[in-house]
Amino acid sequence: MIKIDQKAVSRKESITVEFLFKNSKDKFKLRLLSDESGFSKNIYEQNLHRPGLALTGFVDLFSFSRVQIFGNTEMSFLRQLPDDQKEETLRRIFKFNIPCIILTDNNVPFPKLIDLANEFRIPLFSSPFSTTKLVFLVSDFLDDQFAPRVSIHGSFVDVYGAGVLFVGKSGIGKSEVTLDLVERGHRLVADDIIILTKKGEGILIGSGTNLAKHFMEIRGLGIIDVERMFGIRAIRFQKRLEIIVELEVWDEKEEYTRTGLDEKFISILDVDIPYVKLPILPGKNITVISEVISLNYLLKHYGHDASKIFEQRLNDRLKEKKVDDLRGVDYFEHDFE
Amino acid sequence: MMIEKTVKIVNNAGLHTRPAATIVKLASKYKCDFNILKDGLNINGKSIIGVMTLAAEMGSELLLTFDGVDEKEASEEISDYFNRGFDEL
Repeated sequence: MIKIDQKAVSRKESITVEFLFKNSKDKFKLRLLSDESGFSKNIYEQNLHRPGLALTGFVDLFSFSRVQIFGNTEMSFLRQLPDDQKEETLRRIFKFNIPCIILTDNNVPFPKLIDLANEFRIPLFSSPFSTTKLVFLVSDFLDDQFAPRVSIHGSFVDVYGAGVLFVGKSGIGKSEVTLDLVERGHRLVADDIIILTKKGEGILIGSGTNLAKHFMEIRGLGIIDVERMFGIRAIRFQKRLEIIVELEVWDEKEEYTRTGLDEKFISILDVDIPYVKLPILPGKNITVISEVISLNYLLKHYGHDASKIFEQRLNDRLKEKKVDDLRGVDYFEHDFE
Repeated sequence: MMIEKTVKIVNNAGLHTRPAATIVKLASKYKCDFNILKDGLNINGKSIIGVMTLAAEMGSELLLTFDGVDEKEASEEISDYFNRGFDEL
């Protein structure tokens, strides 16, 4: 059974406002309204905040450290205030260390809002998206940024659409199986170092590292570039992890499943992933078996569990208690083919 | 049992291709598992892609872990190679 080193689990502590803006301005159609003086401010939380109550003057429990969303409610409240109260209200909440503010629904800021944002070094953005839509988009982005991730040694391949992670000792032949699968038309996600990121509850998404991309090492040959060699059809950048296959040298003392009824799981970042232990024997084609593991997973996913169905057939027969002809076909007729 | 050692990159060029290949060769002689941890990235020290991906520049600190029958010998030889600055000092 593979071990997950807790030291390999990490999570981003913070991101800067600049990072948020650079990486999401096209997706969220963000426009910068203030200057960039507050770009180095940090965001520590994935939650967002609509400061309705804080604007009215109640600043106890004000979640100032979150990204602040000004929707139609906040903006129309501010607009109907007389000019001197506008300033007083904004100064009251800008005293807090707010990372940044996003105006939704293409709300146009009044000049004082921009002036004060610059004075307090709070970056101010606007987006054409509605508040509901933008809150969803920004939360999802921040959720991903702050998600726990773990690096793991193995080879990650999309086999018939299922994400299969091969693990096992160094030199057991993970890369060779991967290469074989790629040659047969499956797609490499990453070899050697896989970064698994928890997405939402119960989903792990795997990808390679920035540096290693789709390079891999074949013992005795050296480093090869799979993307260049096999083309774009042979790779993908990310894939949901669905099955873990551990390759190991056949061990007489070890028990391997014979029926497939006793499903095993490995827990990674509190997500249970189906796990298959595959002993390597001479003459055993691991590539083909990997394809079968994937197809069997897909069948199960669509409701057809071969081991359970066979068990059911046996149980039905046992209940009938009648002696039948063992042969599967009653009468061959005149078919000698 | 497991042996952990913290090492620092002391040569100017950092952990580039040649020392990476040497580390992998040294590690592959031994039976024990050998991992290197840097900034939350945990890699297998017997894999060249892994060691190169660390992109460990001069001054960075790495945690080496050895686990297996010959962990003592492996940890001594490999940490010594790091401390010698990959013979580039």
